[in-house]
Amino acid sequence: MQADNRCPITVVTGFLGSGKTTVLSNVLKHDKLKNTAVIINEYGQAGLDHRLIRRIEERTRLLSGGCICCNMRDDLINELKDLLDAYERQEVKIDRVVIETTGLADPAPILFSILMDPVLVHHYYVDFVVCCLDGANGELHLRENAESVKQIVTADKVIITKTDLVDTETIHMLRHRLQHLNPAADVMQAANGVIDPDMLFMSKGTHIHTAEKLKEAEACVAPGAIKHNETVHSMSIKFYEPLDWTAFGLWMSMLLYSHGEKMLRIKGIVDVGEKGPIVINGVQHIIHPPQHLADWNGEEKNSQIVFIMKEIEPQQILRSLETFQHILGAYPKIEEINLNPFG
Amino acid sequence: MCVLCGELIMHVHWTDQPAHDVEFKSTVTAGEGQRDRMRLRLKRVRLSDKILGYYGLSIRDWCGSRYMLADKKGNSKIVYDLGDMWKQAEELAHKKIDPLDEEFLNSFAQYSGA
Repeated sequence: MQADNRCPITVVTGFLGSGKTTVLSNVLKHDKLKNTAVIINEYGQAGLDHRLIRRIEERTRLLSGGCICCNMRDDLINELKDLLDAYERQEVKIDRVVIETTGLADPAPILFSILMDPVLVHHYYVDFVVCCLDGANGELHLRENAESVKQIVTADKVIITKTDLVDTETIHMLRHRLQHLNPAADVMQAANGVIDPDMLFMSKGTHIHTAEKLKEAEACVAPGAIKHNETVHSMSIKFYEPLDWTAFGLWMSMLLYSHGEKMLRIKGIVDVGEKGPIVINGVQHIIHPPQHLADWNGEEKNSQIVFIMKEIEPQQILRSLETFQHILGAYPKIEEINLNPFG
Repeated sequence: MCVLCGELIMHVHWTDQPAHDVEFKSTVTAGEGQRDRMRLRLKRVRLSDKILGYYGLSIRDWCGSRYMLADKKGNSKIVYDLGDMWKQAEELAHKKIDPLDEEFLNSFAQYSGA
């Protein structure tokens, strides 16, 4: 479905020392990725030689009246425009851009900058956000740092790094937490930063973990091992009848208008009664242009949406959806709710 | 850019993205799909009107390009898209717009007989 010739951007996040650069420098050695431009958001030292590497310092411009997630990243916009210039002058070949953020960066302004800039939006699109999670210290990061949780929540793919340093028990535990925290993410592992680039870049992650998968993961972990200390909730809702897209757009834009900052992540597939589903993907106020897929690929025709939110009770969302059902045309069914999905 | 009013369209709201980008075409005939577009707009107006009724506002389509939001005292505002609509509605109604608000939900459920 490559209908456009915009250049894909992959955003790599991860907490300080979670192995972003190691994974990248390994992956970029592959021949398939030789026309990859890398933008690094900090003063990295790793040998990403003979690639086009640009380093930028953070300069953030606050839009008037905007909330914290709607900051424009000036530095990044300029850098991407420079890259575009170089490409148009045929000085460089670019198939893909990878942006490596600092360990503390919030991915939302990056997405916002690319989607809202009138030039960039026609030349680039963010295909996914990858987040590295330290296999050894990941739990600590998740417990102590809100930034780390946010990075996981906004990610489409999560790589557990340093799996060579820890035992399988710890990995199982981490996977389990990740699935609760972000049921919509693909989780993969990298030992010593080694990961198959096809897995990382080529496959499109549109699927959502089902309850069965979650149970599998749960079976691996001893019960009662999870502590709660935050107000982040995730839930997965299913609709067994087609949704009215116009009504859904209304409800969602209303929700994001009033609670955008608290809706950390919305991801899902929506059956609108057409041949194929619509894929929605949102981070806080920012919604990616919805993707209309050609067909269901043999899957069941059910809408499934994952919400990850803070300070909002899942029941409130559900109640709102129930009230809106007569214009939505379908009744929401809860697949799963995870209150405080990490600890 | 809109050639008639010279207004820059900086970005398209996600609810206004074309509904059929699977069937990508390199050439588009002028005016094609206008019926569908108009039908969707009118439907959106109808649904929005139901929601906005609670806040004492009404909305109508304006020349197929904008929406006109009005309160019962005769104040009106031009609205560009759904991202804009809730903000303008809040200003016009002097009320916080919130789809999770209990009172709103109760009234909305009653209004539509659900």
